[in-house]
Formats: sequence, structure tokens, C-alpha cells
Amino acid sequence: MKISLNWLKRYIDLPESPKEIADSLTLLGFEVDDMESTGLPQLENVIVGEVLGRQQHPNADKLGVCRVALGDAIGEKTIVCGASNYKLGDRVPVAIPGAVLPGGFRIKRSKLRGVESDGMMCSGKEIGAGEDAAGLLILEGRPELGTPINAVLTESDTVFNLEVTPNRPDCLSHLGIARELAARYQRELSYPAVDDLPAPGDRPSGEEIFKSASVECEEDCPLYRATVIKGVKIGPSPAWMQDLLSSIGLRPINNVVDVTNYVLHECGNPLHAFDARDIKGSKIMVRNAREDEKVVTLDDEERTLSSRMVVIADDERALAVAGVMGGQNSEVKEDTKDLVLEVAYFNPTTIRWVSKTLGLSSDSSYRFERGIDPTSLRFATDRAVQLILETAGGTVCGPEHVAGSEPMVEKEVELSTDWVRVKAGFEISDEEIRDSLERLDMVISEESDGDWLVNIPSYRGDLDRPIDLLEEVLRIYGTDKIPSGAVAATATGENDNPITEFSRRAANYLVGQHFNEVINYTLRSEAEQQNWSDSVSRMALGLKNPISEDQTQLRHSLLPGILESLRLNQSRKTGASRFFELGRVFREVKGKVVEMISVAFAEYSLGRPRSWKLREADDFFTAKNRATLLAGFAGIDIGRFKVSQIVDDSTAWQEGQAAVIDDPRAGILAEFGLMNLERIKALDIEGDIVAGSFSILPERLKAAKRVQFQPFSLFPPTAKDLALVVDQSELANDVVRSIEKIAQKATQGAFAMESIYVFDIYEGEGLPAGKKSVAVSMVFRSSERTLRDKEVNTAFEKIQNVIREKTAFEIRD
Amino acid sequence: MEEELKQIVDAAKTNVGAVSNRADFEAFKAGITGPNGSLTKVMKGMGQVAKEDRPTFGKLINEAKQQVQAIYDIALEAIEAAEIAERLGPPIDPSLPSPDSEPGSLHPLTQVREEISRIFKQIGFTVAEGTEVETEYYCFDALNTPKDHPARDLQDTFYLPDDADFGNVSKNSDERYLLRTHTSSVQIRTMLKGEPPIRIISPGRCFRRDTVDATHSANFNQVEGLYVDKNVTVRDLKAILDYFFEQLLGKGTTTRFRPHFFPYTEPSFEVDFSSSHLAKLGSDWVEIAGCGMVEPEVFASVGYDPEVYSGFAFGMGIERIAMIIYGIDDIRYFYQNDHRFLKQFA
Repeated sequence: MKISLNWLKRYIDLPESPKEIADSLTLLGFEVDDMESTGLPQLENVIVGEVLGRQQHPNADKLGVCRVALGDAIGEKTIVCGASNYKLGDRVPVAIPGAVLPGGFRIKRSKLRGVESDGMMCSGKEIGAGEDAAGLLILEGRPELGTPINAVLTESDTVFNLEVTPNRPDCLSHLGIARELAARYQRELSYPAVDDLPAPGDRPSGEEIFKSASVECEEDCPLYRATVIKGVKIGPSPAWMQDLLSSIGLRPINNVVDVTNYVLHECGNPLHAFDARDIKGSKIMVRNAREDEKVVTLDDEERTLSSRMVVIADDERALAVAGVMGGQNSEVKEDTKDLVLEVAYFNPTTIRWVSKTLGLSSDSSYRFERGIDPTSLRFATDRAVQLILETAGGTVCGPEHVAGSEPMVEKEVELSTDWVRVKAGFEISDEEIRDSLERLDMVISEESDGDWLVNIPSYRGDLDRPIDLLEEVLRIYGTDKIPSGAVAATATGENDNPITEFSRRAANYLVGQHFNEVINYTLRSEAEQQNWSDSVSRMALGLKNPISEDQTQLRHSLLPGILESLRLNQSRKTGASRFFELGRVFREVKGKVVEMISVAFAEYSLGRPRSWKLREADDFFTAKNRATLLAGFAGIDIGRFKVSQIVDDSTAWQEGQAAVIDDPRAGILAEFGLMNLERIKALDIEGDIVAGSFSILPERLKAAKRVQFQPFSLFPPTAKDLALVVDQSELANDVVRSIEKIAQKATQGAFAMESIYVFDIYEGEGLPAGKKSVAVSMVFRSSERTLRDKEVNTAFEKIQNVIREKTAFEIRD
Repeated sequence: MEEELKQIVDAAKTNVGAVSNRADFEAFKAGITGPNGSLTKVMKGMGQVAKEDRPTFGKLINEAKQQVQAIYDIALEAIEAAEIAERLGPPIDPSLPSPDSEPGSLHPLTQVREEISRIFKQIGFTVAEGTEVETEYYCFDALNTPKDHPARDLQDTFYLPDDADFGNVSKNSDERYLLRTHTSSVQIRTMLKGEPPIRIISPGRCFRRDTVDATHSANFNQVEGLYVDKNVTVRDLKAILDYFFEQLLGKGTTTRFRPHFFPYTEPSFEVDFSSSHLAKLGSDWVEIAGCGMVEPEVFASVGYDPEVYSGFAFGMGIERIAMIIYGIDDIRYFYQNDHRFLKQFA
């Protein structure tokens, strides 16, 4: 909201600089976003002088050496001047030594071409009073010599653009803000006097012009006042009013409209003036609009209304959208003679809804929807009438038309001063509390032993509870004076959330593996999502109200974003080769969308582009290893889950070169391997990308359990190798698992097979087509003794027999 | 005999010069001490030597064996040295860079979040997490936000379609799903789950329907804090934030509270800081956070008795803090992921 300093000064004495006032407003809770000064800045040592005489400068044709009178305190001085637009006896602004002109130009006593000069006579531009730099600023009206220039050229102002929080509608006006400053500075606030109006009983009857005002929808409009003024003469408003309105960005229109705007910004009360001629039947009714009722508002738009909206209507039609905007059919025109002036209190919820529904916000609706002071209508009416009579003439008529009644706003709050101190946590005396409240026009009506009954002013709809008063006490006491104290640390026995712990471990691992963490947007385009997952199109990941086409969906995977980062870095030739991201992804499981914790990484298989030494390319197994470790940080051993080869080239992955572990019951999804070559190429990325991701439902992440030590054998192991010929399509891990089972059974009770691992895979010469050889090594060990060859051999025989009998595997000799 | 042994040793001395690898060596060795080697042959002749000469003879043979062994050792050592030299290749140029990738790095936003978490952990705040998809109840209603508050508008907040169904985001009743606009929803869910004392921070990604520019982003990161206990005061809030900002921004950092308004706190403040360490900002007050004492209505919505418990909450933007402490002037850098940006924070 824009607040003019000159306007404020009509109600309160403010000798402080605009900067100081801005600071005060900010500390009162009205943050000043910016401030703009117009007219003359505050200038020290720039005073009124008179040119008494001029001589030609001895060394410069264009310079004059002038004798200048500067008033009794300073006397006469010699000033060298290059201007020529003045005559002797003219009074001009003179900057004497010590002055600092706008732009930082400091005036000193100096020699100009060998002649001593005691200051500078100034142009308008030099002192910041306009753009005229052609000659000296000749002051009109012969102001007193020696007078500070700011006292002569008073047409300066500062406009504060400040934020009024939604709880303070009482401050949406100059009087409201002045009231706050008065509380802060402990200064008198002078409300405009309106006692020069004729008393209601003494007013002539206006009933031939206007008969009555009534309210049909009392809930929407609890109180309505209409006042008749006849015989006005529409014309421009006075310059002072135009200046103030212009300063806060309002365009002056005519005296009556300007008064309504002026009073709105003075007191915060929206008002509206109707041309009495246009009120059919000379009666005003506040009623709900008819469904599809139409009215053309002052902004030239035809508005179609609904029955929840409220209109000001005459016998025939709507004249205004109540509380929001007047209608064209009854606006004040150049030839308007008689007025009906409306001042009302509308229900904030109604106005907020109407304004939002119509998409029409005005200075009036802005205030009504936040809530105006219902007790202020009388004053606002009188103030507007007074100003209309003053600026447009006319006669205010009786009777006063008042419909409805003032809502009850008198409030009392019980407050204990001890309670205030307990909540504040620092010492603040009863006197300081009292002082704060009273400066805000609160009245302590009863008190005993620090238990007070506080009466709340009618305009403070936001104050209902002791806690609300605590805020007011602190505000006036000065929130910047709240003392700091020792940190009292409370032990809650909690740990960081498992998600946080998992993220840290995953990130630290990947950073240790030379990955740079990236952060991409959660919202992705539908096209991108579908490019990387065929199933995404079936998922309900779209937003109801996206802001742009490239951000319509919740991401189902972190990889598209990471690839985007790789692509950007490749095109910018930054040399980056490994990225990872941690974040949330969304997927659909059994008709419901779930949010998952996810970590994903992608790297060029060949590492950095161009290197003096080649490393072995990273491949599927690099990605598998990373994905396995990442899952491990979540407490998941993905070796326990079924891994499926990706055999469909319509996915993000390269057919036959990637794998997926998808277990919705365990709440995990892992994918890793080589990314789809064609799609990577289509993205304009050169190079093969090895990548992986691991996602888990957040509720499945548990705090890491404490490890229980397992004793191990101190006896030597015995190893036996076995090569098996199996179908090429057989997964090595399935082979290992079958052998493991057989071996465990074969050694049961005697000793243990400690481990089994694949040490060779072979296919080709010597093997039938479609077959491969999987060679495993089994390690046997006992926890009690050194194994004898014989018993191991017996077990090994047994294992081989079972393999021959019970499996399709062939033992290779 | 003696002569013969001398010849064998001399021949070994001469021939060893031609031995340059392990195969040569084995052949060379076999020629002397192998089953048919020259020295072996002499030794085999031992049987024919007169009994009384045997000690002398034995001694001579031993001497010869020792000499031959010494030749072997030297030869083997040379071969091994040559093999190692071949395996290792020429000496490295230590000035060459490693061909491996450059160092990895945590994103600056992660680093700032971690630093914030670390500082708060010093004073007993642990990290709480929640989902990015939330419901209108936990994001607004439970936080005392009026039903017709503009923050709830479709203009300002992203909503999910009316028929959306989330498996792991619980609803209060039949309210709408949305993308959380702040992490205050985590505070509500944490309070609903447990009893005071509660002392948490909740960092996380939030969303507002803003058009992207130098200071706005449709998703951004925030950290909020909450402390609920008996007798929590305004001064405690100031003490915590003073401690935090001095740790984060350096000694001599001061903070100032300004009155403000949030639906979920009363009284509410905005927090400015001033720090001589951050040269760019000079000594002016810079807005950095919002805070306040938990509004009794919020306690009511989670079933805490406001007569028994009090508490404070605060919140700040992680991007904003990162921009201030690192001197970054455009929020979009954080989401572009240019390596030249990221690696500065390695």
C-alpha cells in the first residue's frame, strides 16, 4: 500500500527523516518495501540569497563575481557564478560551504579562476527541484533571506510502499498508519474535525430527491448509510487533494469522486456517490443479485452476477456491485447536481467471495474483505460530506437514511501481567505493559494485582485473546529490544529421520565415487516422462493446475532430470561425467500413487571425454554394484530379490544390458544397467550412459539396527570347484542358489558350506550351442575342527550326485 | 676333480652373462644342478672316490655348490628386477593429472541443509521428514489458515486432480491433495504422532505456483523448526535463532525481530540479520526468516493443551541462505546443474 509522508503530516507531527520513519514503520510491523521521494530532497546549508551586485570575472568571460545577501546571520558573501538568467534583486537558492547537493556534490569555499567564491547559486536541477539546468532557480514571492530552501520549496514528498499484513485492516489508510506512528512516537494524533456540519436536525429535507435506503440481506450488509447532498457543482478538486491522490498513484477525476477516494485513503472507509437522478424510484435497496443479473461496472465491463452476490439497486436495476465497484448507470457525471452518498459496512466473507468470483478487486473490496471498523461509518460520512461541501458546494440534506445497525464490536480481554512476563520470558514491568497498551488506545478498565480488564478499540478486530495483547505489548515495547538469552537445550531422545540418514549415506558414497549431486525440478513434462517410461502414461501423476506445459507431472524417476543435466553439460563442454540426485519420485502401485524416496546416478561408461590414459569402461556390473550398495544403505539386500533382465527396448534401458528389481510388497524398485542407446542419442547425448536408481517407500526405511557380533571359525577352509553346463538363458544366480541348497543339505549337521561364488563363465568351443558353463567355487569350513579330506570328498560326491539326478545341469569334467 | 669343479664354476660364471629371462635361467640351472647337470654328474661320481678322499672331495663339492648358488642368486635377482621393471614400465610423470573423474560434490543446497541440520543438532533439534504431496488439511487447515486464504487459491498452490489417490499420504477427511507450500505440514504430523517435548527441524522441498525468475522458483527448499514444551518463551525463540545465525553466518552476527503476521503463530515476527562478514550486504538488516510462538489454535488442532504447552516455530528458505552465504545472485543456478557451478562446492 502506498502512503504519502505529506499526507501523514496532516494528522501527526513528523520531523523525522523519511528514512527514520520507514525504519519505524518496519519495526511496527509494516515492512517498507521501497520508498520514493519526489520534489526537493532534504538539504542542509542551502538557503535563500539575493543577488545584490555582479561584476565581470577578471579571468573568464562567462563568469560573474556576485555579491549575495544571505540574511542577518551570515551577511553578504562573494560568489562566482556562470549563469546569466537572473537580474539584480532576484532571490535564488544558495548552497553555502558544508552543503551536499544531490549526487554527493560537496560545496566548499574555493577559488574559481583566481577569485574566491563562498558557495554556489543553484539551478533547479542542482538542488533536485526539477530538471531545469539552464539557469538559476529564481524563487517566487521574495522569501525571507537565509531561510532553508526546504522551507521555501515545500513541494516534496516521500511515498512509502509498505506491506500491511492481513490482520491489520485498520491500517489500510493514512489515519491508520498515523495512529501507529503516534503510538510509537507518543505523539498527538489529530483527527480531522467535522463539527462544522449542520446538525442532522437542522438540515433541509432532501426527500424530493431521495426517499429511503433499505437492506434485504442483513447478513451481507449489516449497516448502510445514505446521505443526500443537493446542488453540487462538479469540477476539478483542489490542487492539494489532487497532489495527494496523485502521490499514491490515483488519477484525479472530479471533486466528488476525488473526495470519496480521498476519504477512503484517509480513514479506510470505502464510499460511493450516486447521481441521484439515476436512482429510479428514489429508493436504494441492498439486495442479493438475481441469477445472471447484469451490470456494467465503472471499468466498462459488463458483469454477470449470481444470487450469492450483493447489489445496490433501485426500483428497477442494479446500480453497483456492493462493496466492489459502482455501476456506470449511476456514476457522477459533469452535470450531476444531486448526490446520494453511500457509506456501508459489508460482510468481509461476502465481499471476498464476490471479488474473487468476479475476478474484480478494487480499493473498496480490498478493505471490505479484510474488515473495516463498523463504528467508523458516521465519521466517514461526515468527513466526506464536509469535503464535498468544501470542494463542490451544495447542501447536505436530512434525514439521515440508516439501514441496519452497528455490529457489536466492544471487546474486553482479561490480561495478567505475570502471564505476559512468563510468555515473554523476560522482565517487562507493569508500567511498560500499561504504557504499550494505552499508547494503542486500549483502556484498562479494571485492575487488581496485575489482573487487568483491557478494553479494545473498535477498529482492532484482530485482538481477542491475551496472546494477541502480548504481541501488541512487544510491538510497542520494541521487538528489536527482545533480549537474547542462553540456549536451553532439551534432550528429546530422538534421532534424525531414517530418510535423512539414508540420504546422507547414499550421497556420501556417490560423492566418494566422483559423482556431482544435481537438483532438478520435481515437475516434468508429459512428453519427457513418457519418453522414459511407457507405463507413465497410465499413471495418475498429472497436476490439476500446472503453471506451464513443461511442468505438468510429478516425476516418476530422477533419471530424466539427471540426463538433462548431462546433456546440458555436454553441450556446454564442462567435462562433467557423473551426476546423481536424491529426491522424491512418484509411482502408481495397485491404483494408488505412492511417494518414494529415490536415489539415481548416471555416468558416461567411458568416463571423462578425452583423457591421456584410458580406463576400463564402466558397465552393467558397475551400475549393479552401485545400486546394490545404495540399497544396502536403506537396509535392503537386493540380492535377496528377484532380478529380471530388461528384454524390452521400449524402456529407458538397453535391451539385454539392464535389469530391474521390482517388489511392490517390499516397497522397493531398483533399475540399473546401460541406458537405451537410441533414446540417449535422440537426446543429443554422445556416449553410452551407465545408470541406476533405487527407490523405496519412506515408511519402509528404518533406523539402522545395532549389529550383533557373529563368531567365526578359526579352522582352515576347504574349497571345491564345480563347472556346470546350463542353458544360456539360465541366470547364474539361479544356478548358484540351487547348488547352494543342495550343498547345504549335503553337509547338514556335519559342517557348513561357508560361501559359494561364480568364478568363471564360459560359452563357445567345446560346448553345445545354446549352453554355457558356470563354474562355482564352494568353500567348506567347520567351526569346531579342521575338515578331513575324506568327509569333504564324500559331501562333494553327494552334491554332484544330487545335481545329476535332480537338476537339468550337466557337470563338466 | 678339483680342476673339473673349477671349470664348472668358471663356465657358470661365463654363461650366466647370457641368461636374461626366467626360461634361460631354468635351462642354465638345469645344465649345472639339474638331474643331468654338470655339477650333478660330478657329485654322482662321489661313489668312485676313495673313502679317505671323500671328506676333501665333499668339501670341494660343497664349495662349488655354494659358488654356483651365489651365481644363481645374483642372476635371479637381476631377472626379477628386470621383470618388475618391465611390469611397471617407465617412471611416471608425477605432474600428469589423474585420468579419473574430478572430485564428486554435494549440491550447495544439500550442503547448506546439512550445515543447518548440524547446527540445530548441537542444540537438540533432530531432523523430521514428511511427504512432498500433502493434503489441504495438513498444509492449511491444521495451521489455522482461513478457508478463503489466498494461499489456497489455484493461482498459488499446485493441486492434484480431485480423483487422485495417494497410498502413503493420509488424509484427515476428504480434503484435496496438493504439493506442500511449506514444511509446516511435517510439524503437524509430528505433533499428531507424539507428545511434547518436540524439538525438530524439517527441511524439504516445497512448491509454489510461481513463475521462475532470478529469485523465484516453482520448487524451492525450506527448513522449518518447531519446539514445544512447557514454558517456552519469546526469549527462548530469540536465543535459539541468535545462536543459529551466529553459527551459520559468523561471530558478530546479530538478529532483529520485526512484528509480522502468520496464521500459525502469535505473536509472529520476521527476522532480520546483520553481519559484517558478508561484505556484499554491508551492515544493513537483511530479512532472513519468519518465526513466532505457536498459535493456540494450532495446538488445538493437534490435541495439545495450550494452557499446558507453549512453543515456537520458525522457517527460512534454503536457497536464500545459500545465495547469501555463497554470494549467488540468481536462484536458477541451483536447478541448472552446470558443472562449473557445482564443482565450486566440491
